[in-house]
Amino acid sequence: MVETPDLPSIFFYILVNGLPTTLLLTALGLLGGFVLGLSLAIMRVYGGIELGWIASAYEKVLRGIPLLILISIFVFGIPGIFWFIDPLMRPFFGVILALGLRSGAYQSQLFRGAILSVDPGQMMAARALGMNQFQAFRHIVLPQALRLAIPSWSNEYAVVIKDSSYAYGFGIIEMLKVAFRVSANYPLLWAPTMVVVAIIYFIFTFPITKMFGERQTKKLKKLGMGGD
Amino acid sequence: MRKGITAIVIIVCVVAGFAAGWLFSPFLAGVTRVSLVDQIKARGYIIVGTSSDWPPFEIYNTTTEELEGFDIDISELVAAELNVTIQWKDMDFDLLVGACTGGTIDMIAAAIMVTPKRAEVLAHSVPYIRVNELIIVRGDSSLTITKLEDLAALPDKSVGCQAGTTQEEELTDANVDYASYVSALLMLADLDAGGIDVAFIDEPVLGQYSAYGFKSIFIVPAEPTALWCKWEEPELMATINKALLEAFKDGTMDTLIAKWF
Repeated sequence: MVETPDLPSIFFYILVNGLPTTLLLTALGLLGGFVLGLSLAIMRVYGGIELGWIASAYEKVLRGIPLLILISIFVFGIPGIFWFIDPLMRPFFGVILALGLRSGAYQSQLFRGAILSVDPGQMMAARALGMNQFQAFRHIVLPQALRLAIPSWSNEYAVVIKDSSYAYGFGIIEMLKVAFRVSANYPLLWAPTMVVVAIIYFIFTFPITKMFGERQTKKLKKLGMGGD
Repeated sequence: MRKGITAIVIIVCVVAGFAAGWLFSPFLAGVTRVSLVDQIKARGYIIVGTSSDWPPFEIYNTTTEELEGFDIDISELVAAELNVTIQWKDMDFDLLVGACTGGTIDMIAAAIMVTPKRAEVLAHSVPYIRVNELIIVRGDSSLTITKLEDLAALPDKSVGCQAGTTQEEELTDANVDYASYVSALLMLADLDAGGIDVAFIDEPVLGQYSAYGFKSIFIVPAEPTALWCKWEEPELMATINKALLEAFKDGTMDTLIAKWF
């Protein structure tokens, strides 16, 4: 409480103590969302009426629930859900589950769009060459669809990394919590600390959306892929 | 082909359903009860929930990178009695009670005052300290009050308190329209910035945030504070009480009070 730290040292303090957890939450949340979202997208495109209905119902429900409520449900609401995990880590996995389930609902839309934007003629051509539908999807459609999905997927990354800050209230020491701890020690540095943490989030969001978003879109345009 | 995929997905779902059922069955079937004390001793640590913006009760010292404070030392006494280490869960104050009833944390040490309402939900230990609550304003404010109800005359949302605290209950009882904050930190920052004109806080906490230059205009005597755990775990509560009472008897408590207040 005596010596007041300068802003760069606050910056690095938050970076060192909070960033690994934030990135881990984001990575695992995105990964869960990727698996779930891709499966849902496949269900919607190829699954027929029944599976398509299930997938779209899931999307509609999950897109209508605030993330904070999902986290509360999985961290405190159903405490036994992670009974097989070390009790200390349960809130962490609760947050990842919530991030993954929610992100899955959005990523499903994104992959569905990508799959549908691959020209249906390619599927027909592949079938004409003797591939079955699964082979054609696996070797022809999916690689292109994943590539097409990259720009919008980078946007999903930006959403998830920012939403991971909700975890601060649930006993997970990520960037925002570290920032709050710093400002509890130095009450007068409240505003600068918040600006510093905002800058860190920006640094970890903007370059990635720039690189994977805008540049990939241009590249894809050159290759003649994606909507023209 | 489409039927094939449908069939595969349905089979996968059924298998996943059975797997989930198998995984959750011990949780659903109500396994034989192992007391929390035995669980804590078996895993070698107790999970204690706190909210680290309430110095001198608890604060995370960013220089030493450790939680410190009166409640932290008290919890160490309990851990020593159990012969385990402490794993801290540092969360929002108003989530602590839910976290404890849900089983995310074993015990709460966050300067929580004993009130009948809380005692309905969670069990409390013997109280270990009593502090006053203060109505505070910015240093240049000329506001004076003679009773808590006077605050009701102020414009809406100009009184702040922390969510889930006894202060919040008292303001509700006094018919004051208040703004509640998830952390004391946010509340004091808002008071400093002029978002609210009055804040309601524990007396020792004001001293720790003296950098703001707030002043106290009214004292409200309050209930004593205690440690909390689930009603279903009387063995744990007995251990907590034993640790606290021993600390009272051998003078440790007086030493700690002298150290932090």
